Amino acid sequence: MFDLLFWVWIILGGILIGAGVHFIPVGGAPAAMSQATGVGTGTTMLAAASGLTGLIGAGSAYYLHPGDFAYTIVMGGVSAALMIAILAFIANVMYVYGAGVPLASAKIKYDPITKWRQDLYVSRGTEGHGSPMVSFISGIIGAFLAGVGGALVYFALVETYKAIPGFSATFGSYSAPYYVSLAAAFAIGIFFLNCVMASYNIGGTIEGFHDPKFKRLPKSIVASLVVSAVGGLFALLISVMLPGGI
Amino acid sequence: MDPQMMVELGALTIVGGAALIAGIAEDLESDVGSQSNPNSQVQLAPQMGYLHRLYNKAISGEPASYPFYAAIGAATTISVLSVTGSASPIGVFFALVAGAFVTALIHGIYATTSYVGRLASQSRFGQPIYLDVLRTHTPVLMAHGFVANFSILLLTWILISQHLSPFPFVVLAFIWGIALGGVGSAVGDVHLGTDRYYQDRPYGSGVNAAHSGSVVRKAESGLRNSIDCAWFCSKFGGPLTGLGFGLVVYLHFWKEVVVKDWWSAVAGVIIVVIFIIMNVYLERYSRQRYGTYKEETEAE
Amino acid sequence: MAEGEKSPRQLMVIGILGGLIGIYIASYLNSWTGTAWFSFIAALGAILAVYYGADAVRRVASYGLGTGVPSIAMLSFGAGQIAVLLGLAVALNYNVGVAAPIIALILAAIIGLVNGVMARRVIKMNIAIMEMSMMEIAMAASLVILGFSTAIAGSFTFNAIMSYVVASGFIIAVFIVGAMAMFHPFNACLGPDERQQRTLNLALSTGFIAMIVTGIASGAINGVQAAVPTLIVAICGWVIYYLRFWADTKEDAASVLSTGLLPTEEEVA
Repeated sequence: MFDLLFWVWIILGGILIGAGVHFIPVGGAPAAMSQATGVGTGTTMLAAASGLTGLIGAGSAYYLHPGDFAYTIVMGGVSAALMIAILAFIANVMYVYGAGVPLASAKIKYDPITKWRQDLYVSRGTEGHGSPMVSFISGIIGAFLAGVGGALVYFALVETYKAIPGFSATFGSYSAPYYVSLAAAFAIGIFFLNCVMASYNIGGTIEGFHDPKFKRLPKSIVASLVVSAVGGLFALLISVMLPGGI
Repeated sequence: MDPQMMVELGALTIVGGAALIAGIAEDLESDVGSQSNPNSQVQLAPQMGYLHRLYNKAISGEPASYPFYAAIGAATTISVLSVTGSASPIGVFFALVAGAFVTALIHGIYATTSYVGRLASQSRFGQPIYLDVLRTHTPVLMAHGFVANFSILLLTWILISQHLSPFPFVVLAFIWGIALGGVGSAVGDVHLGTDRYYQDRPYGSGVNAAHSGSVVRKAESGLRNSIDCAWFCSKFGGPLTGLGFGLVVYLHFWKEVVVKDWWSAVAGVIIVVIFIIMNVYLERYSRQRYGTYKEETEAE
Repeated sequence: MAEGEKSPRQLMVIGILGGLIGIYIASYLNSWTGTAWFSFIAALGAILAVYYGADAVRRVASYGLGTGVPSIAMLSFGAGQIAVLLGLAVALNYNVGVAAPIIALILAAIIGLVNGVMARRVIKMNIAIMEMSMMEIAMAASLVILGFSTAIAGSFTFNAIMSYVVASGFIIAVFIVGAMAMFHPFNACLGPDERQQRTLNLALSTGFIAMIVTGIASGAINGVQAAVPTLIVAICGWVIYYLRFWADTKEDAASVLSTGLLPTEEEVA
């Protein structure tokens, strides 16, 4: 049945996913040429990669402890943050040894966290390279938020669908119960919905919470709120439409 | 140590190894095809007057195309298994191979269409379409894609058969495909974009924005092609990507196998802190070792 | 509008009507004969929806989205799959099973419109046709998902789609293969000399590849009856449109060389 609390979880999850995208440092195509600070991927896809790894963590957590809200959420966030920490660190190893550049950002003079000088270490004609400490920490926070958001959406969906009679059936021996499959598919869908909206807001690249573009966050929160509300409503209405199950 | 944990750790070792191979193959495949981020330079080159004999595979970015291959492979595997049954390991193995094979064919088709499509849309710059580039590079990237895809399917299958994840096979393969694409794009593309494409510029600096598009087109002997680039990146970029993706997959499940419940979350946080500390040392090392680009007075 | 180009309205009619007709014919012929021989017609309908959607992506992406072409298709397919399943559930609940695809289409249009309004009014993207395009791509996405799912499952009832497509995980395969079929044509032909006919021939070609994948998946559910016609039609269709794409490419390219060194300055000019 339709539970208002689950709708709130989905909306909150969507907002956190959109907010998380703003924290993750993405340099886009220029980062692969060591021309921009951040990790060298697209904003949408990097947030999706880390957040969906968090979704795997949340899925396993829910499987081990069904109904445990705190455990699912925390495992989702920690799994996503771990993925970004490893990814950004290995990318930094590549920048230092493969491209021979120190990690620096051209948008700030001193790193807010380590207080190390930045602008002297930026090569000529570029906007920085690698992920200095502030971008690294920002990425971990962003991935944690995206992972928590994804876990919230997944938790709300899986609790709703588990209550529908007949949804615990499976199909074949290498698939999951209906409610897990449906919740996972919709969680991926709502993930992409919010990630893409947030990346439209960023419009290219962002270095983390110290980047001036970060001030655009409120617009993304409003957009994520509305699209997650509509998407979440549609997803939860399925349980209302099937009172007798299948 | 209880026997269940030992079995899971053993399975996890194979999963980690498969992830390592998947990472290496993914990065080399994206180097042969020049996919994702450094492709912006290959795309720009004819416009700046630098015609080339590189491949220009523009099938979206890697984090969008690897889930595509993984999902096709997983769907094919399930279809083959629905006919043969999943009782014998050899049967499962051949189903995974069949999945990776069908995906490799579709991958090759998409690669050819994007190469000719992009170059035909740049006809005003005079960039020719070289059929021999198409003929020699496409099988190479299909082969690397086959290895990467097979590794992803194998590791997903092991995770599901050990009940380490409740998701359906296709969904889990999809998500690991996105993760692989993300790691490959973040790590491996830098070696190609900064080092190999601009090998005539001095090592130790990012590419100056004024030099965008002027990729190396004349190689050590003859004209540069993308298979040369994959050879170069296999020395460092490929293995490092494999290490990255292997660590992502292995540590993700290691923390859930070795310790249980809330201790997994604690273990995850501890590992994140360890990586933060390693990053601090790495950053400091890079600054001390490389020094600054300009003096204090110049910067004022 | 250049010579011989199809207008957006023509493509909308082809895409939506073609998609719906394909889905209905396949499902009713299947249930009337009690077999699964006609599942492939739904996939053909989905390919017409891919044709329509690829042009919509082409129109909106030419304005410059800032994040690349794949994002808009991923967004629409992610939202579209929710709309499709809710549409099927609504039809089941109110016992109007025959209207399920139309309800799914309307719900997808609603969610597409919401996305478009958010993108244009709140995030302030400067694209005039954003709301309309988002709505069109979402509608095309819902027809693609429903069409390929019907081809896999054999009919579009909620129970069939749920157990054969969602529970087995094929919904994600349909999602990504359909999204790729829709955005790859414009992404692959990106450049100043892009031409609608070449792009749309590629769209039909990628649509038929998606149908190949659907055929393989339908083999798992309905066996030989569904897989063989689907695979045969798909491979023939793919060959036809791939060769047409090659012919268009040879016409458009600066030169197609079997091998050679880089052209000199005089040759280029």
